[in-house]
Amino acid sequence: MSFEWPWQYNFPPFFTLQPNVETRQKQLAAWSSLTLSFCRHHKLYTLDVMEAQVSPVFNNKSIDRKLSTDAILVVFEELRKKGNLEWLDKNKTRCLVMWRRPEEWGKLIYQWVSKNGMVNTVFTHYELANGDDTEGEEFHGLEEWMLIRSLQALQTDGRAEIISMDDGKGVKFF
Amino acid sequence: MRNQHGKYFWQKRRTRVTEQDRAVLQLKQQRDKLKQYQKRITLQLEKERNLAKQLLKDGKKEKALLLLKKKRYQDQLLDKTENQISNLERMCQDIEFAQIEMKVIEGLKVGNDCLKSLHEAMSIEDVERIMDETQDAIEYQREIDEMLAGALTQEDEDAVLAELEAITQGEDLDLPEVPVEPVPEFNKEELQLHPERQRKKQKEGVAI
Repeated sequence: MSFEWPWQYNFPPFFTLQPNVETRQKQLAAWSSLTLSFCRHHKLYTLDVMEAQVSPVFNNKSIDRKLSTDAILVVFEELRKKGNLEWLDKNKTRCLVMWRRPEEWGKLIYQWVSKNGMVNTVFTHYELANGDDTEGEEFHGLEEWMLIRSLQALQTDGRAEIISMDDGKGVKFF
Repeated sequence: MRNQHGKYFWQKRRTRVTEQDRAVLQLKQQRDKLKQYQKRITLQLEKERNLAKQLLKDGKKEKALLLLKKKRYQDQLLDKTENQISNLERMCQDIEFAQIEMKVIEGLKVGNDCLKSLHEAMSIEDVERIMDETQDAIEYQREIDEMLAGALTQEDEDAVLAELEAITQGEDLDLPEVPVEPVPEFNKEELQLHPERQRKKQKEGVAI
């Protein structure tokens, strides 16, 4: 299944930030959703601003247009405001992308756990994200930080408890 | 922010993770490590097989043989790992099942205690006494019923009616004239539909 680009992607002005406030808002919304759906399609959880510049999302070679670094930062800032993105460093070079909120991930994981009758069981984090049993589940291959956040969300609801041990972490579902 | 908040509250609450859970987790972590090791060895084996093929093609039979020996050794390691993984998994399942058994026993114990306390609350003597008392009460109630019903037996009722008749006969009654028109036929259905009303009518007739 290949990624479906939105129509704007082949529209050259889309790659230049528009001065008109209203147009700009629409443009940023489109960029936000494009970034998120691209990351979702490729299961990307972290983005690097330098790498993003050469990634096909912000660089459409077929029409020879690319979004400038400043514009990318504006888009990222927009995503941050909506809670879909978090900076990993102060210099804003790397960031975490959450195209699905931790609560939603938590829900997916919990659904899988209860569907398989494994409530009240202990899991290692590795087992959940990389185990053979979760092969084919959407959360398979989830990055550690995202996994921890979704488990924390479940913990807040009282449906899970994170267990920390000397080496590695685990979780128990309720 | 919310997560930190949640965590803060969580730490105050009692944890629901038991020692057994921790033990299971440790076993599972061990298993994860073995699985990762397994993956590494499998990949390595694949690589070495290809390399051996290449060596054979190049005519370096000695080297290929050496490589295959090494591969054989790793194959054995892989088997051992597999065994260890299944050992660990069996151990996990044993612990989990023992936990379930313990819960079953706990449940039975609670049920047993409950039954015991219920039995304590109703001793045989109590039951006998209560049954006796109930019997007495039934007897008593029957006596009351008899006394109440006995105040007016069927005979008495008949006597009352007879007296009423005697009084009515003795009086000169101002009866209405008998109607001349023929009596309209009774609608049978109506009779069936409203038997009570009909009866009422009849009764009224009697009373007059």
